Amino acid sequence: MNGEPALGIIEGIMKQKEIIDHFVFGVFILPALAFVLFSTDIPFIMNLYYSFFDWNGIGKSMSFVGFGNFINIFTNDALFWKSAQFTLKFALFYVVIVNIASLSIAIALQHNKTSSNIGRAFYYIPYIISLTAIGLIWKFILGPGFDALYTMTGNEIFGLSWLGVPDYAFIIVIVMSIWQTMGFYMVNYIAGLMTVPKELIEAATIDGANAPKRFLHITMPMIMPSVTICLLTSITFAFKLFDIILVFTKGGPANSTVSVAYNIYKEAFTKSNYGMATAKSLIFVIFVLAVTLIQIRVTKKQEIEA
Amino acid sequence: MMRKSNKGSLLTVVVLLASFFWLVPLILIFINSFKPYNDMMQHFLALPRQWSLKMYVETWTNFQFTRLMGNTLLYTVSTVLLVLLVAPMAAYKLARTKTMISKISFVVIIMPMMVPFQSYMISLTRLVASVNLTGTRIGYILVSTGLCVPLAVFMIHGFVKTVPLELEESAWIDGAGKFRTYFQIVVPLLQPILVTVVVLDALATWNDIITNQLIVGGKEIAMNIQNSLYMRFSAQTADWEHALPGIVMSMVPSLLFFVLMQRKIISGVTAGSIKG
Repeated sequence: MNGEPALGIIEGIMKQKEIIDHFVFGVFILPALAFVLFSTDIPFIMNLYYSFFDWNGIGKSMSFVGFGNFINIFTNDALFWKSAQFTLKFALFYVVIVNIASLSIAIALQHNKTSSNIGRAFYYIPYIISLTAIGLIWKFILGPGFDALYTMTGNEIFGLSWLGVPDYAFIIVIVMSIWQTMGFYMVNYIAGLMTVPKELIEAATIDGANAPKRFLHITMPMIMPSVTICLLTSITFAFKLFDIILVFTKGGPANSTVSVAYNIYKEAFTKSNYGMATAKSLIFVIFVLAVTLIQIRVTKKQEIEA
Repeated sequence: MMRKSNKGSLLTVVVLLASFFWLVPLILIFINSFKPYNDMMQHFLALPRQWSLKMYVETWTNFQFTRLMGNTLLYTVSTVLLVLLVAPMAAYKLARTKTMISKISFVVIIMPMMVPFQSYMISLTRLVASVNLTGTRIGYILVSTGLCVPLAVFMIHGFVKTVPLELEESAWIDGAGKFRTYFQIVVPLLQPILVTVVVLDALATWNDIITNQLIVGGKEIAMNIQNSLYMRFSAQTADWEHALPGIVMSMVPSLLFFVLMQRKIISGVTAGSIKG
C-alpha cells in the first residue's frame, strides 16, 4: 500500500500548511471572539436559560417553570403592558418630530459655510455628552432653574410641576430625547443632501419648478437612503428607550414613564425576579430584532448599490 | 458661476439662531456653576459676579475627582487600545477567509449589534459575578471592550473589502510572514477606519454610565466619573453648588475631543449608524 513517495511528501506539506493556516486563523480571530463571547453571546444564552426558571438571581433555589414566566407576562402583568403602551406612544411622537426637525435643520444648514458649520456643531454637541450630565442638567433647569424663573417672571409655564404630572413628564421625556439626539439625524440627513447633484436642482429651477416641488420630486427621492436609515434608527432608539428614563424620571410619576427596557431592568434589579425579567427581555428582543433586521438589510442593499 | 443664493436664507437664519438656543441648557449650567446657591436662585440668567474656581477646587478634592477622572481615562484608553488590538485582526482575517467557520465566527461576533443591550445585561452581571470580577477595574475593562468589538469588527470588515489584495500578495511574494504582512502592510491601510473606531469607542467609554453601574455598582475604587456623579447627585435634593462644577468637569474632555476631532466624529457617527 505504498503510494508515490513524492505525493506523500506533498500531501504532508499540504497538511502542514493547512494546520498552520488554521493556527493563524485562530490567532487572528480568537481574541476578538473571546471578548464578545464573554460580554454578550454567553450572557444572551444564559438569558434564554433563565427565562424558564423562577429565580431571584442570588439564591440557590431555582425552580423550573417552563413557559410559566411567559404566560405570567401575557396574563398577569399590567405594568409591562402599560410600559409597552408608553414605549409605543413615545416612539410615535419621537420618530415623527425628530425626523421632521432634523431634516428641516439639515436643509437649512446643508451648504458648506462657516456659519452652517458652527450651527451644525451646536446642534450636535448634546449628542456627545454623557447621559449623567444630561439628566442632571435637565433636573437643574426644571428644578431650581424654573423656580428662579418663576419668581422672576411669574410666568405660569415655569410654575408647573413638570415632573409631577404624567402628561408633562411625557413631554419632558420627548423634549430631552429630541434635544439630545437630533444632531445625529441632522448629520445623516446632511450626508444625504450632499449627494443631490446641484445641476439637477438648477435645471428644475430653470424649468420653473418651485421650491416645494423641487424638494418633493428631486431632493426627496435622492435622499431616500438617509430617510430610511434615520427612520429605522429612530424607531429602534425609541423601542430601546432606557438610559434617559434611568437617569431622569426613573419611571415616574406614578409609573407613567416606565419604558419596556426600564420595566425589565426594574424587574431584575429592584424586584429581583430574574427569571421573569429574562423572559420579558426575550419578548423585547423579538420586537427590536425585527426592526434591526430590516435596518441591516436596507443598509446592506445600499452598500451594494454604492 | 458666482450666483449668490438667497433662497431659503430666512430659514437658515432662523435655524442658526435656534442653534444658539439649543446650547442654552449647557450655557446655563456653565454660568451657574460659578455661583453660590443663593445667586443661582436670585440671578439665574446673569453671569456670575466673580469667576471664582473655589467650588471647582472643592468639588475636585471632596469628591475624589483625581481618582474618578483617572479611572475614566484608564478605562477609555484601555478599551480603545484593546479594541484596536483585537478588532482589526479579526475583521481582516474574516474578510479574507472564505470558509464556513469564518462565516460563522463573523455572525457570532456581530450578533450583539442585532440584539439590544438590555436583553442580556441581566445575565452579564451574573456572569461577571461568577468569575469574581464584579466591582473590579479589570472586569469593567473586559466588558467595555467586549461591547465595543462587534461594531468595530463590522466597520473594519466592510472597509477591508475595499482594500485591494495585490499589496498583501506582493508582500507575500517578498517573503513576509502572515503576521508581518498584517502589521506592516494591512494596518497602515486600515488607518482611516481605525480613526473612526477610536473616536466612537473613546466617546462611548468616556460617557458610559450603564455598564459601569452594572459591573462596578457602588464600588468606589472602580467607579468612573459618570457613575459617581449619578450616584451622588441624582437624589431628590441635590447639592447643586458641587454638582454643577462636577458636571462641567466631566464634560470638558468630551467637548475638547469634539472640537479637535469634529469632522471625524461626525463622519464616524454616520458610518456607525447601523448599530442596533
